[in-house]
Amino acid sequence: MIDDDDVMLLSCRRILEKAGWEVETFSNGHDGIARLETVRPQLLLVDLKMPELDGFQVIERVRAIDPDIVIAVLTGYATIGSAVDAMKAGAYDFLPKPFTPDELRLLVNRGSERWHLVAESARLRREKEEAERRFITFVTHQLKSPVVAAKQYLDVLLFTASGELSPQALDWLSRSQTRLGEMLSLIEDWLTLSRVERGTFCDPGATTDLREMAERVVDAIRPQAESAKVTVRVHATGGVRARGDPNSVATIMSNLVSNAVKYNRPGGSVDVSVSSDDRTGVLEVADTGIGIAEECLPSLFHEFSRIRNEATADVPGTGLGLAICKRIVDELGGAIEVHSTKDEGTRFVVRIPIAEGARTERTPSEGPHSEVDIGHRTPDIGRQASQST
Amino acid sequence: MTEAKTVLIIDDDPDFVRAVGHLLQSAGYVVTTASNGREGLAQAKTVRPDLILLDVMMEDRTEGFFTLEQIRDVPALRTTPVIVISSIYSDHPVFRVSPESGWLPADLFLPKPIEPGRLIAESARLTASEYAGRLVMEKGSDVR
Repeated sequence: MIDDDDVMLLSCRRILEKAGWEVETFSNGHDGIARLETVRPQLLLVDLKMPELDGFQVIERVRAIDPDIVIAVLTGYATIGSAVDAMKAGAYDFLPKPFTPDELRLLVNRGSERWHLVAESARLRREKEEAERRFITFVTHQLKSPVVAAKQYLDVLLFTASGELSPQALDWLSRSQTRLGEMLSLIEDWLTLSRVERGTFCDPGATTDLREMAERVVDAIRPQAESAKVTVRVHATGGVRARGDPNSVATIMSNLVSNAVKYNRPGGSVDVSVSSDDRTGVLEVADTGIGIAEECLPSLFHEFSRIRNEATADVPGTGLGLAICKRIVDELGGAIEVHSTKDEGTRFVVRIPIAEGARTERTPSEGPHSEVDIGHRTPDIGRQASQST
Repeated sequence: MTEAKTVLIIDDDPDFVRAVGHLLQSAGYVVTTASNGREGLAQAKTVRPDLILLDVMMEDRTEGFFTLEQIRDVPALRTTPVIVISSIYSDHPVFRVSPESGWLPADLFLPKPIEPGRLIAESARLTASEYAGRLVMEKGSDVR
């Protein structure tokens, strides 16, 4: 309890200690706030009108130290206006002076109930997060493993014994192989999306050279582009080192370049450009493909928003690729936009802040989990991410 | 006639072991298998395989990593090529873990399910007499 009136402090202390509460009193805000370094009370009772720090300033500072402390205001200058102001500042309750011992006990009981509710909901939130984390592990192992095993049989069978199979068996097994492959991609994308959302995927503290990564991504996708008869070119004047770990940047680029190839036409092209302006790295992926109808653009980055029409019917995809791109770009503090004309082509522009004094990519010496287990990084990194964006 | 090369598969998924074992046999390898790290280490010591396929995410999540360390602690197995396999890798071509990074003494990383053509090609490469081994890249090695 913080109040500049010593008589007030003494009488309240007596009432509350009799009711079984442990009470500490302070005659000014500085002393009360200093005490918070060593104790965390459930409840703070504070007077509004005090010399030096007034009640509003105390409320503000206490909220900054620990928002879970429940604050109730006691004041002799009770007006509707000051009550509203105190509530706005973060007080939970308000009691005008003078008050009876019963009123004080009631106030403190209400505040304590509130404190327990807040603590309870924090516990539930933690449990929910833990359940989500377990669920991701469950999906990875229990859902993915059987699909991997089944697809592995088909892969090996079609590789070693395709000559001995009837045309129909061959056809049906190939179709099953394709369908299982699609399911694996879906599980993979869905896991990626949940990791990005949980803040365990991106590391905005690391940096990546956009040009180098664009070249690697394009090289990897070249065979697919060649069989689709699509030309892919990379344009870059120099290296641009932007915020984000290599895996996050690669995920954005692979999704955009792969889309540009998939939703293209034989003889078409994809131009990947890396440039920078002032403090932003700019990645552009422009294709001469089938384009996107204007009415489909607003929902393009939503989950499972695949555009279904004649031109896209045979294109495989999970409907999560662009949602993943958008979330990662957000985590890195960047922006993504799309420009498209139906039947002419689409251009995605991604802007990512240029790394300033950021550390370089994680080095191998940081241990196995930094590289192999790319999905299970420490949540702390992601938390920093969401705060800095 | 050169003698057939031996491959040891260490993985706790019997279906995966069966499918990949069949693939390697059809390519002329002698295949031996183990379903956990302890058994795998024992087999590796007695069989002295020409190549080891090791899943890093078995029942116990760290089992594979420890097994690999233990394999490397056996002097006779220090240069045996090891392919680490797992379904946890995202299949980003650009983010396959490179063996040069040195933190895990493996020769190659492959995602599950394994592409049959790729496994056959890599197995041939890693068991060929010209293969210089990962230790060429490993600093401070006292083997060569």
